[in-house]
Amino acid sequence: MNMKPKVGWTHRSLLFLLMLYLLLPLVATGLYALATNWQTTILPESWTLNWFKDMFQDLRFLEALWTSFYLCLISVALSLVIMLPAVFVITVYLPKLESFMKGLVVLPYAVPGVVAAVGLIRTYSSGPIDIAGTAYILIGAYFVVVLPYMYQGIRNSLLTVSAVELLNAAEMLGAKRARAFVTIILPNIWPGVIISTLLSFSVLFGEFVVTNMLVGGHIHTIQVYLYQRVSESGHLASAIAISYFIFIMILSTILMRLGRKMNGGTQG
Amino acid sequence: MNKSYLELQGIRKKFGDSTVLNDVYLSIREGELVTLLGPSGCGKSTLLRCIAGLTELDGGRIVLGQQDLTNLAPRNREVGMVFQSYALFPNLTVSENIEYGLKMRGAGKKERANRSEELLALIDLEDKRDVYPQNLSGGQQQRVALARALAVQPKVLLLDEPLSALDAKIRKNLRTEIREIQKRLQMTTVFVTHDQEEALTVSDRICIMNKGNIVQDGTPEQLYSTPRTEFVARFMGSYNVLTRAEANRLFGDGIGTAESFALRPESVGLLGEGMNVGGDVPSADKRIVEGTVDSVNILGNVIRYFVDASGVRLTIDRLNDGRSPTAQANGKVRLALDPSQLLRLEKEGA
Repeated sequence: MNMKPKVGWTHRSLLFLLMLYLLLPLVATGLYALATNWQTTILPESWTLNWFKDMFQDLRFLEALWTSFYLCLISVALSLVIMLPAVFVITVYLPKLESFMKGLVVLPYAVPGVVAAVGLIRTYSSGPIDIAGTAYILIGAYFVVVLPYMYQGIRNSLLTVSAVELLNAAEMLGAKRARAFVTIILPNIWPGVIISTLLSFSVLFGEFVVTNMLVGGHIHTIQVYLYQRVSESGHLASAIAISYFIFIMILSTILMRLGRKMNGGTQG
Repeated sequence: MNKSYLELQGIRKKFGDSTVLNDVYLSIREGELVTLLGPSGCGKSTLLRCIAGLTELDGGRIVLGQQDLTNLAPRNREVGMVFQSYALFPNLTVSENIEYGLKMRGAGKKERANRSEELLALIDLEDKRDVYPQNLSGGQQQRVALARALAVQPKVLLLDEPLSALDAKIRKNLRTEIREIQKRLQMTTVFVTHDQEEALTVSDRICIMNKGNIVQDGTPEQLYSTPRTEFVARFMGSYNVLTRAEANRLFGDGIGTAESFALRPESVGLLGEGMNVGGDVPSADKRIVEGTVDSVNILGNVIRYFVDASGVRLTIDRLNDGRSPTAQANGKVRLALDPSQLLRLEKEGA
């Protein structure tokens, strides 16, 4: 009655090699961020927290972190406000538009970031909407970047809870559409929507190519800042990378917790 | 009681190029349970959704009592519906689900609680009032869906294949329960199903639908004993449907002018070695035909024989009462055919 499957040494060593391959760069980066000097020895000669101290004392780092944070927040919030009702209406009332939407939302994947950025700069650097190099164009571009995540996430939530049936049932019981949406649909899709929102947020937080090309010279997000500091000091850049990694890990943990909570909710 | 209460007048509906409902007329009396029975795609669920207001009509009128429902929104129709998938609200408890309709109509807290208790008693789930639907069994969920639809005291109750997602045993119990509740409340009900046995047990009246038309309607006895067309005969059970030539071979001439005939599987007597199964056979007015048993299926209380007689394959049902020996596959048997049991069928669409 041994419930644990037996794991042979081949499996173990394969897993170990894989983890080593995946984690070694991270460990090295972590060590480098904590080292004073690491040139001719296997392990650093001595340790220090100065790089982290420098980083947190560097106003530009905190500014970049803040810039990233609020730009991503605004973009995701905007996306939520627009996409939630839009996807709801399409899924429930205009299912004919679904195939069109499916095509539309893969475009951000299909068009490489560089191409998209060049196109956007050319379109918006003159003419009636002259917003190249401003936060507005970045928010617009971010909206497009997270479009697939938001669309799929919201749509899947709606389908999982059979929104159409629930809505019909609520209407038959005398609820107006808006009231049915607020009292029945929204509470049921909320966990799924939160997850897509957080996912979109972390995708934007790590976005570099489009950001750097569109507004790199004017607005320093955390990624742009990191890119600029790499050439100055490897130790500092490592410290930034590690901090960024920890931030994303916390975000991912919240995401997974929420996901489990949602599954737990529907399974009982 | 004989006055019609819910009146469907020439309902038409198309989805794209395909006609789903083709000029359907139906009138239902108050307190009556009418079943729409038919194969999938016959338009029965669409007709139900039209009554509910969830599907728009292309033509025709729906009248309930004195009120024309045709252009009313679902929420103003005073029609309750139970969905195939139950469609219970997962974010609300059992009692909150039941009270939802009353809340939407602005009923007070006390009234809602009273009504909800009443219905919980009706469906016998008082101990589950604070449970969420996903923690209930399928049968319990369906009962809650029924209570939720009844809570607002609709004038008509619509049931869209309410039992098809349940397993056989629960299905049988629940359909009796639904029928009892319906009778007790005198609730005018339209019940959609593709299961003829279900239709026969619960209905006051059955409407058989095919390709967007009601092809025959009547009481369960009428439909089972006198199917009008081949489609109804095939759908209502394991009727033997015979062509004119086949019927001639079994019954001789003088069977009338119809092109196809139906013969109930339990009306054929079976005589074999040491067997005299089938009641009062042989008698003068019965025809005796030789046959060979192809196969024997035990269906529980019924034994179903497939017999080849003069090149016609017949289904014959015998009660499995343990008193008479069972004919064996490949055994020779004699069939006692009663000409008065041969039904003449009308042409499709006639």
